[in-house]
Formats: sequence, C-alpha cells, structure tokens
Amino acid sequence: MSWNKVAVVGAGLIKFGELFEQSYEQMAAGAFDAALANVDKGLDRRSIDAAIVATQRGTLWGQEGIGGNTVPSALGLSGIPCTRVENACPTGSDAFRIGAMVVASGVHDVVLVIGVEKMRDKSAQEGLLARAASGHPLYNRGETAPVLFAPFATRHMHEFGTTPEMLAAVAVKNHHNGCLDPYAHFQNEITVDQVLASAPVCRPLRLLDCCPQTDGAAAVILTTAERAHEFTDKPVFVAGFGVATDHPYLHEKSTFVGLPATTAAAERAYAMAGVGPGNIDMAEVHDCFTITEILDIEDLGFVDKGKGGPASLEGETALDGRLPVNPSGGLLAKGHPIGATGIAQLTECWWQLREEAGDRQVAIRQGYALQHNVGGRGSGVAVVNILTRNRT
Amino acid sequence: MVEDAAPVSTPGVTTAVAVLGVGAAAPSLRLAASDVAGAWGSGGGRGTVAVCDSDEDTLTLAWQAAVRALEAAGVEATALSGLWWGTTRPPFAEGPSHAFLSTALGLDAGATGMLCAGSPHAGMEALLAAWDALAAGHARIALVIASDALVPGAGTAGESTTGAGAAAFVLGALDPAGSSGNGSGAPARLVARATRVMAAVDRYRGDAERATGDVYDGRLFREEVFVPLLAAAGRALGAGEQGGPGVGWAIADPDGKLAPAVAKRLGGALVSSTIQATLGDTASAAALLGAIQGCADAEPPAVVGLIAYGGGRATAVSLEVGRAVPGAGDVVATVGDGRRVSYVQAIRARGQLEPMSDPIPMGVPPAGAAFVRGNVEMLAFEGARCRTCGVISTPPSIHPRCTGCGGGELDVVRLARAGKVQTFVVNQTMPPPFQAPLPMVVIDLDDGARIMVQGSSVDADDLAIDDRVTLALRLYATERGIPVYGYKAFRMTATGGTPEMSGTSGAIGGSADGAGGGGR
Repeated sequence: MSWNKVAVVGAGLIKFGELFEQSYEQMAAGAFDAALANVDKGLDRRSIDAAIVATQRGTLWGQEGIGGNTVPSALGLSGIPCTRVENACPTGSDAFRIGAMVVASGVHDVVLVIGVEKMRDKSAQEGLLARAASGHPLYNRGETAPVLFAPFATRHMHEFGTTPEMLAAVAVKNHHNGCLDPYAHFQNEITVDQVLASAPVCRPLRLLDCCPQTDGAAAVILTTAERAHEFTDKPVFVAGFGVATDHPYLHEKSTFVGLPATTAAAERAYAMAGVGPGNIDMAEVHDCFTITEILDIEDLGFVDKGKGGPASLEGETALDGRLPVNPSGGLLAKGHPIGATGIAQLTECWWQLREEAGDRQVAIRQGYALQHNVGGRGSGVAVVNILTRNRT
Repeated sequence: MVEDAAPVSTPGVTTAVAVLGVGAAAPSLRLAASDVAGAWGSGGGRGTVAVCDSDEDTLTLAWQAAVRALEAAGVEATALSGLWWGTTRPPFAEGPSHAFLSTALGLDAGATGMLCAGSPHAGMEALLAAWDALAAGHARIALVIASDALVPGAGTAGESTTGAGAAAFVLGALDPAGSSGNGSGAPARLVARATRVMAAVDRYRGDAERATGDVYDGRLFREEVFVPLLAAAGRALGAGEQGGPGVGWAIADPDGKLAPAVAKRLGGALVSSTIQATLGDTASAAALLGAIQGCADAEPPAVVGLIAYGGGRATAVSLEVGRAVPGAGDVVATVGDGRRVSYVQAIRARGQLEPMSDPIPMGVPPAGAAFVRGNVEMLAFEGARCRTCGVISTPPSIHPRCTGCGGGELDVVRLARAGKVQTFVVNQTMPPPFQAPLPMVVIDLDDGARIMVQGSSVDADDLAIDDRVTLALRLYATERGIPVYGYKAFRMTATGGTPEMSGTSGAIGGSADGAGGGGR
C-alpha cells in the first residue's frame, strides 16, 4: 500500500547546459513556466500557496545569500511563504520530499518545489578546487569531487573485477539516452573506446567517466491527492520516500564497494511505498560518475552486489533492458546542476509514468518509478523518492 | 690575527655531555652541477647537490632526521626536555617554526628549547645551547637538529654547490656522581669547544628576498677569512697536536675546497667529504652530518672534530667516540639516494620558477579559526579513541562523539604512522597550488584507525590496494605566503622502505594520552 497522499500535477525544466546568458533568476522563471505549461488543465500561478527552493551552493557559485525571497520575486510570486533547502547532491530530491510533507501536513495545498543551480558562473578550476579546499583544512586538502567516488571504483575493481569497459558502458548508455532528451546538456553519442581514451582525471576515472558542470533549473507542482484531478486526469503520486545519512568523511566509510546511505534510504522508501526493487519500471539514479551508477543499481537492489558492472555492460539498464536506468541521460549526459538535478530526475519519472517521454519512453508495466540522489562529503546523504501512477 | 687568539673555552673547563643517538635526512632530488653550469652556458661542474622537492623544506628534513635519531637512541619524544633547532632560514621568517616542529615530533607541550637562525652557524649554535642546558642541569635529554635547505640565487657561484639536509643528535646529561661519571658508558661525548669571530660579509640574504646572494671573492675569502678562522677554531680545541688522539674533521664547506684546505692545515683526515660529495653544502647541517659520517667510519676510540662556519663565526667541537653511535651506521643508506632532476625541475621545485597565474585561494585561510583548530591535530597526528568501544575517530576536532558507537568519552591519542592501503585514487589534473599527480590514500593504520591523506607523487604509478605505507611530514602548500604542513603517505618497498623513508614506522613518540587534552 503506497503512501499516495500527494500528487505531482505539473513538472518541467529548462534545457540544461552552460547557460552563460541566463541569470539564476531567469533560469528559475524558465523552469516554473515550463512546469505551469505542463499542467494539463492549467494552473494560475497565483494558486501557488508556498514554495521550496533547492539550491546547493549559493556561496560557491556566486549567488551569495540566497534565502527564501530570491525565487518568489523572480517568479512574480513575491510574498508567498518560501524556504531554501540545502542537502548536498540530494538537495533537489530532499526539497521534493519536504514539499510532499508540507502538502500532506495540510498547511499548504499547492506547493512549488523548484531547483535552481548556477555551476558555471565561476571557472571550472574554481569549482574543482572549492571542494578540495573545504572540510577539514588539512585532512581533506586535495579532495576534489572525483576523489569522493574514485576510491570506490578502485576498490570495486579490486574486489569484483569490475573493468574500465564496464564503467565506460554506463557513460556510453547515458550519452545515448541524452541524445533522445531535448533537455540534456550533451547530445552526442560516444563509444567505449572514446571513454577509455579520454583524459585521465582521477585514476581510475577518466574525463568521460565524469559528469559535466552544468547550469539548470527544474520545477514540480505538488498538491493533495484529493485535489489532483482539478489539474490533471493523469496525476502521478508520491508513493514513498526515504532519506538516510552516513559518516561524512571518506575515511569513515564502513565499505568502499557500496554507499550505505543509499541502501538505508531505499529500504525506507520501499517500505513506505509498499514495493520492492522488482516493482520498479524505471529509475533515475545518481550517476555523477560512472562508478556511482554501478554502486547505485547494486545498493538499490536492482542487481546483486558486485554485479553492477556486468549488468551495465550487458545492457540490463538500457532503455530496452530489464530495468532502464537514467533514460534522461542521467547526470553524465543531461548534467548535474545540483539543486535542480533531483527535480529534473523526478520530472523525467513523471513523463515516463505518463508515457510522454517520446523516443526514450520505456515500457511501464507496474507503474512505479524510482528517483535517487546521493552525495555530500563521503556520500553521506542519500534520498530516494518513489513515484507511481497507480492510485492505490 | 685570529690564529693567535687564546681559546675562551678549553677542554679542561668544559662539561661533557653524552650523544645517545643520531639521525640524518636528505631531500629526494639530486641536481648535477654540470646541469647548473650548462643552464648558464658555461662548462664544467662536478658532483651533485641535494634539492628539496616542492613538498620538502628545512622543517620536513629536520622532522625526518629527528624521527630517525629518536628511534636510534630509543628515546620517546615525550621524554625530551626540549628541542634545540638550528637552521639558517626557518620556514617562517618570524613565526611558529619551532612550535610546528616540536608539535609534529610529539614533544611535551611544556618542553623547552631554542630556535637558532640567521646564518649557517645556526646548527652549531643549537648544539652549543643544548649542551649548555644539559651542563647547567636545566635539561636531561635534549634533541638537537641542524637543518638547511637554502635557495641559492640563480646564476650565483653557490648554485652548483648548495645542497640540503638535516642532522639530529639526541644528547643526554652525564651524571657526575653516577657509575658512568666520566661518561665512558655513553656511545660518544661532546667534550670541548671553541669559537672564533671575524666580521666579514660573505653570503647574505636581505628581508623578503627568496634566494641567498653570493658576491664575495672566493679566493680572497678562502685565504684571508675562512681557512684562518676555521683553522684557529679547530686548533683551539687542542686536538690534532703531536701525540694527541687521531682526529677526523667534519667541516662545513661552501665550495668543496675549503674543508680539505682546513683539514690539511690542522692535520688529520677529513671525514665529511662523502656527505659533502653526495649532498653538497648543507650549511647549518654540514658539520653535524659530517660528524655522523665520522662516527660511522670511526674505529673507537676516536675523536671527531666538528667545525661549523657562518655569519662571521666559526666554532669547533670535539666529539669523543667511545663505541658505535646508534643511528650513525644508517647515514649512507638514509641520505645516499635521490632522484636526478633537470635544472628546470630543480628551480621549479625550489619555487624559483612559478606560473604567472595566481593560485586559487583555498577555502580555509591558514590564519582562520578552522585552520588553527585543524593544524595542531594534524601536526600532532591525533585521533580520538573511544573508551567504550575502542574505535579511533579522526581527527578529534570534528568528532565530539565516537564514529563507532556514538559514545562521548574519548581520549586524544597519537596515531600510528604506518599502515596498509584500503583504497586510493590519483588526481591527475590539479590547478595550483596543488601539483599533479596527487594520490589521495585511505589507510588502515596499524593502531586500527583509518585516515585519508595525500600520497607521494613518486608513488602515483605504483600504488596498489594492500600496499604498506608510512607517513612523513611534508609541505602541503604555501598558501597566501604561509607554509602549510601535513602528513603524506609513502609506499614502502619490498625491502621494507624507500631509501628516504626507512625507519619511520611506528608511532610518533608512542602514545601521548592527554598531549592535546582529553577528548570530550
């Protein structure tokens, strides 16, 4: 029995990319307009009762001091209650979870959850080093974003024989999917050989094992299950969600072949939704690096521990595979504007469950889609949201 | 002239002290003098000099030599009365150089000591000051370190002879009333000393100048200043006289010619020539490093005469070797090897060749509160051990509670400095101030703690899971003009350690519970 107290009645995003020509506020306005336009029966912007804004690193990327007021003003909604949420890479997915709880609480009926992130207003080098310079001033010096995940690849290869070709297969698949997604940052096919020949970044990861730095924004509109039909005849419900934490430093990990926060968040989400991994038709998971997707599909229970590499190589996660993963192109091809990432993944799940995903539409059999982010220092925060088109 | 001056201190009135152990360290790079000559379009140049890699400096060399000396002497850092450190140019011209080194070595927070600087005589001054403290009864066991990693001015005569290195002596007071009243039980004893002064400008460096200038006339100074002054100091010891004990001389030597000339003038063998040929002029460390070589080569009983010079002062010290000096025999193995680099690589490593772009500032400035909190626990290499479950959480400042059981009763402990690679990565592209390749290594330490620290770029191609590694203090970066230090992991070879890293396993001075106050 799924939770299903809250419905998604509108969702949308702007084309992701290096959006040098757009301000943070313009990106937010574009995502909101896209979500409004996708409400089947229309929704007056003044019907929004409250908003949750997901922006992860305002201070890093140049939007210092973003609070709850920046976005409502940009959307023409100045005055509404609005709170900014920050929770590492799952910022967007956690904002969604909080938005759902706000609606379920009965305090606000129609809630906008909007993720906005400017990644490229500062140089790529500054972005790289910002991570290497945070945390403990000495123990973490040199810890760039790839350093947070590459140690898992080293160990996964050591214990399970996972190969660079298996990692590359993830990037090749997600780039292929990105070609079918008009919102993706990258829309070019790549080959395994190209991945293996790309520049070494953080051994064992190469350039094409890594997601790009991307600007973007995405928005969803939530309301109660009871009111959903005022706005659409094809509502998608929040079946369940889970969030979990783990120690925040790499040297505190209990394992380097999995992310315990993902496993714990998934257990909670599955229990709340009353389903298991076998009920999921498609998933949008956190593939900031190729190894991350391999860890994810194991930790989420889609494949056995250690089998993520072969499963990726053999096409189990392709659009026509046993369980399609990241049909939108994922973070690797669609991009990873952190606060917007989770909301954009949920938008993809919404489209897929409504069977509106065009050339990248996957087969929907049981009516459940799973969305997942993991991140923060030591990948110590994970959020899993499960959506369904089934009323009960 | 100086040669006729009467000795101020004579062997008869000097209180002897014991040498309990010694250690040496050299940086990891070697530069051929011929490459220096070639860079400036001239021919010639013989031998090599030792050059610091970008993560080495006088402080990291001093640390390494001291760790080895303490291990050789079998002395815990917490047992030391103090640290006497001599270096021409401390890493902070004005600042906490001594406190950083003392903390990293694990001396008690109440330990005494001194930082001597300002000329290559500084290493000798540290030795004399420690000796005085022991003789006065103000110290029982003293750690003396002489280290230098001078940056010679580009194109100066000193460029092809200036090396780098460090020597450490663990000294102990002799108990006049005890059974070893004359110190005959000690491996070696410092027994006599003499200083001579002549105010003359030779090498110099002004405020804010990176490199050492060198404009004196070499032949003039050798004939009129150096040889007479050093020989006078040596002669004042009374050693080398007809019928005296055989003396081997360890003499600081800026150009490879002075020491043989002084030794010839005094009579006796030159024992410092091997070290000199390997490392070049190690300035403050030269006489002490030479003496370690002398101890290694000596057939006891023997006498080694140390002569240091710098800033217009020459001091000679007489060291009586009664038996094998712990640590001395390792000197060639520990400082002999290095990686040969080109002239361009060497001056880049020394910071004399920098990219035009400004390094991107780090998030935590070295003067910030977070840095102050983090720096001490990094230098002291501390963890927080849970009284309930025994798990060690690192570092203590970010762990008010145990990462294992959530318990709140934690004791600050010093971590083991060796362990096994759990997993690792190699950053292969990094903007300044970092230099790629930069491994980051997750290590299961021998005491059960787990940490992640930077690895050595040298190991980038060979590092593997389950490799044994040791940790050594290195210069992480110079951030906003301030040197930043931390430990780096070094892969141990099948034979038990890299030449530069052997003998560094084990805890720093053992457990030092309460060194940083109890955990909360």
